[in-house]
Amino acid sequence: MEKLLNIVNSVLENNNKQKIKEYNYSIRLRDDLGLDSLELAELTVKLESEYGIDVFEDGLVFTLGEIAKKLDISNE
Amino acid sequence: MNDKLFFYDLSVRKKYLYMDLVSYLNSADCLSKYIYTTNFFEIFVSVILGIIYEKEIYLLDYDLSADEINKLEVKDLNKKYFVKIKHPITLQNLLEKIKNSKHSRINLYTSGTTGQPKRISHDVKNIIRTVKIDDSKKNNIWGFAYNPTHIAGIQVFFQALFNLNPIVNLFGLARVDILDLIDKFNISHISATPTFFRLLLPITRKFYSVKRISYGGERFDNSVAKELTTVFPNAKMLNIYASTEAGTLLASSSDVFEIKNEFKDLIKISNNELLVHVKLIGDSQLFAGRQKWYHTGDIVEFIDNSKLKFRIVGRKNEMINIGGYKVNPLDVESILNEHDDILGSRVYAKKNSILGAILIADILAKNNLTEKSIRDYLNGKIQPYKIPRLINFVDKLDKTRTGKLRR
Repeated sequence: MEKLLNIVNSVLENNNKQKIKEYNYSIRLRDDLGLDSLELAELTVKLESEYGIDVFEDGLVFTLGEIAKKLDISNE
Repeated sequence: MNDKLFFYDLSVRKKYLYMDLVSYLNSADCLSKYIYTTNFFEIFVSVILGIIYEKEIYLLDYDLSADEINKLEVKDLNKKYFVKIKHPITLQNLLEKIKNSKHSRINLYTSGTTGQPKRISHDVKNIIRTVKIDDSKKNNIWGFAYNPTHIAGIQVFFQALFNLNPIVNLFGLARVDILDLIDKFNISHISATPTFFRLLLPITRKFYSVKRISYGGERFDNSVAKELTTVFPNAKMLNIYASTEAGTLLASSSDVFEIKNEFKDLIKISNNELLVHVKLIGDSQLFAGRQKWYHTGDIVEFIDNSKLKFRIVGRKNEMINIGGYKVNPLDVESILNEHDDILGSRVYAKKNSILGAILIADILAKNNLTEKSIRDYLNGKIQPYKIPRLINFVDKLDKTRTGKLRR
């Protein structure tokens, strides 16, 4: 989970948004973290670079938990 | 006046005075229909003869291969017209003859977007419409840095000729020779592509004789323009937008253009593409039927909501679509390369399921740059959709044989 968190935080930091201190499956990307489409796109491209998986390929993903599921990282 | 220099060509070590030009014109007994030569003086003479004798000539770039020429429907490459002088040409009546020519046409060739060169037939009156003749221009000395078989070269040629200015060839010469010639001839005007100027840099000397630098044919390069103002402290910069199809359309001292009142019904922007009215276009194979507007393929970006001023951001096929916004990666590379610690960059698109595509940058950096510092640098300088969202720090950037960035 830590790697995922770091990636999400780097995207937040690049876009001058507040970083996440605590991980929580239900944190919503758009509603809680305030990510816009460009920032979501940035997140997917970084996740793809790291994990080789396009998280949004099958449609929208809304929470950190859903991302973790797509990446198949259950209890890292 | 008779011993005034017309054309100096270092590559063939020849100097032609205006009286030599007049002499050649008076003694010519034939004129080639297809001008296919590396001899610039011959090209100039042919253009003038074609106008005086109202014979249609075709200017072929010597770069064209035999194969390409075949595809251009050139029937007899060696065809010649026979001409005979009726009234002697003098320097005085030469310019009048050219201005008064009613039906002369010159054919130029362009490479269309399909890659196959297309012929554009121009009314000489149309080509010379932008020539400015003025007493203040009589002492101008031109550095000629375009290919004379293309529109820019032809227009510079006429501008110099109508004011009886000397033309010093700089095209195809080595840096050292170009700089020497600027010095030796006290060249005051240089018209060339941004690449020509970029390849001259860096220059440590300063040249005070140059009063005007015009560039066009390629995207405006801010960093090159800035360096040029240091090397040529007395020069005014003029950015020209012209095309083989329409000749010179817009001019500006920066990368921002505005459509002048006199052109309001002749140039317009639709879907961010520059369109030119058929009235301004040379008669050509470009138009199908009764189409009124020619699509230039050049994409613009308005600088504000008034939609009066704009920048030309690139060709339609260079653009990458990021979530509906059209971006030219060269734009972004330009800005990245202005960063003190960035030696070079390559910006390209990566498919993305959210936006269609997203920009990625490979960056060759001097020091230990971080992605965050680059993001902070770009923030506010360009729109968010133009910011590369993934940055790779690389050891080198591949270049093609002609020194261009390998894409």
